[in-house]
Amino acid sequence: MSEYILEARSLRKVYKEGPVTVEAVRDVSLQVSAGQSVAIMGPSGSGKTTLLSMIGCILQPSGGEVIIEGRPVRWEIDDLSHVRLHSIGFVFQTFNLFSALTALENVEVALDLRGIRGPEARKRAREMLDAVGLGERVNFLPRDLSGGQKQRVSIARALVNRPPLILADEPTGNLDSKTGHGIIELLRDLVVRERRSVVVVTHDTRMMDLVDRVYQLEDGVLVP
Amino acid sequence: MPSIARKNLFYDRTRFAITVIGITFSVVLIFTTVGVYLGFMQDAAFIVETIPADVWVTSKNLQNFNFAWPIPERKLEQIKEVKGVADTEKMIHSWGVMKLFSGGTEQVEILGLDPDGAFGIPWSMVSGRPTDLMGGDFVAVDRSSVTRLGRLKVGDIREINDIRVKVVGLTKGLKSITTAPYVVTSYDTASLFNPYFREPVFILVRVSPGETAEGVAGRIRDHVSNVDVYTRDGLSAKTRWYWTVATGMGLGFLLTAFVGFVVGMVVVSQTIYSSTVEHIREFGTLKAIGATNWTIYKIILEQAAVNAGIGFVIGLLLVLFIQKGYEALGIAMLIPNTLMGAVSVLTLVMCLSASIVSIRKVRTLDPVMVFRS
Repeated sequence: MSEYILEARSLRKVYKEGPVTVEAVRDVSLQVSAGQSVAIMGPSGSGKTTLLSMIGCILQPSGGEVIIEGRPVRWEIDDLSHVRLHSIGFVFQTFNLFSALTALENVEVALDLRGIRGPEARKRAREMLDAVGLGERVNFLPRDLSGGQKQRVSIARALVNRPPLILADEPTGNLDSKTGHGIIELLRDLVVRERRSVVVVTHDTRMMDLVDRVYQLEDGVLVP
Repeated sequence: MPSIARKNLFYDRTRFAITVIGITFSVVLIFTTVGVYLGFMQDAAFIVETIPADVWVTSKNLQNFNFAWPIPERKLEQIKEVKGVADTEKMIHSWGVMKLFSGGTEQVEILGLDPDGAFGIPWSMVSGRPTDLMGGDFVAVDRSSVTRLGRLKVGDIREINDIRVKVVGLTKGLKSITTAPYVVTSYDTASLFNPYFREPVFILVRVSPGETAEGVAGRIRDHVSNVDVYTRDGLSAKTRWYWTVATGMGLGFLLTAFVGFVVGMVVVSQTIYSSTVEHIREFGTLKAIGATNWTIYKIILEQAAVNAGIGFVIGLLLVLFIQKGYEALGIAMLIPNTLMGAVSVLTLVMCLSASIVSIRKVRTLDPVMVFRS
């Protein structure tokens, strides 16, 4: 078994737009151990989201390798939805909650995809919402929650299946400074408590003090 | 997991209402069109199917029951000679004009059969008895047409083709596809109304025990010239075929039902597609967090199925209400269980088919979209 939860080796992503070729990510390698938190920072357009999509098994790299829990991802062979479901939890900048579902039901969706349903799912979803401080808001629809509360639901959804790896895309991007800080602390505490690994893509410099390691991404190149 | 499909449906009530209205409209249109068509077809073949004759002999090159022409009465004797013929009976079907009490006129279809003959008067009477038609110029009219015939009642005297007749009874359920009211009378009285219809228009045959209608009909064809010979089912089918195909009526009904289907499909397709587009980010999220395409297809198909179920039930309730209204107008609208089953399946197929565009959209959905703000 590999000592790393996530390994990226020489990842590349090339986009072709007509005659123009753009290399969004160039030869990126990184490792994330169990319980480790990593921030990837960089300005807009530096390739952060492309990198996150590749290590999240959503976007196939043009070159290089992604290894999750010691198993190389075989893009053409593996059921990638299965890899994402069992190994990764996602936190999105825009929360991406289901507008017609309550906070509790939003968290239950992730459990349902793993085949956990009924009272057991309800219990675990409620516990997770309690853990993110939303125990009193379980039956609220997203439209009745603040931005920070929505992000807490999103975090609860990402963690409820206890995936070894959490990928967060600009989790504070749509939040005010104070709320954003609270979300970062919550994410870090949960990750430490649950001994999960987390990769946060952000340009929020407050992250630097809250993670174990910070990478800078500049024009698709990762700088430690 | 809570049903995302049902939650999505009921979350946007306006769109849900539009979808259900569209399906309901479609269901009502299909039901009423096909139901009225079946009612017409029942009326078209009603006389043929209610007289218990196995074989019908009539004029050559018959188009349908209502437009038959007389045949020479001597054919009756020839038919009686055919092996397998147990009973025969003459029947007149002709047309006349009844003078109404108001001074107006109404065209009627005349049915002349001997009440004490081999087949009697086989239709139920709500007033009077079949034998009341004997011994004079007596007629019975159908209960459903008394208002149209000037609030006609038993005991009234009217003229048909200038011959005075007395109404002695009311039949029940006797309707023609031509919409002209039926007047039932004895064979002899019927022969008085029209100089062109003095001889039998149909010779009805009951076959002997152990014989088949087809077999006896074949022998009559061989033995009697210049007549058309049909089994009861054959004449019924020919009459239905004439009204359905030759008149274009069936095509008209079919087109209307098809329009109903298309309207329903377009409405459902549009609303499900707009719902899919509105929730596309959520479907992208589902994909990103590990759902397979099939999981998302099931959500879309469930939405379509729920829409279909609710639209069908509301549509059916409305149709049953409309059916009562048609009945009051004297128009038969039939909704047999087979039609109910067929329309329910058709509604489901319509809604599921309408989901195909949405499913294609989801199939090609790139979950990378969830990272874009």
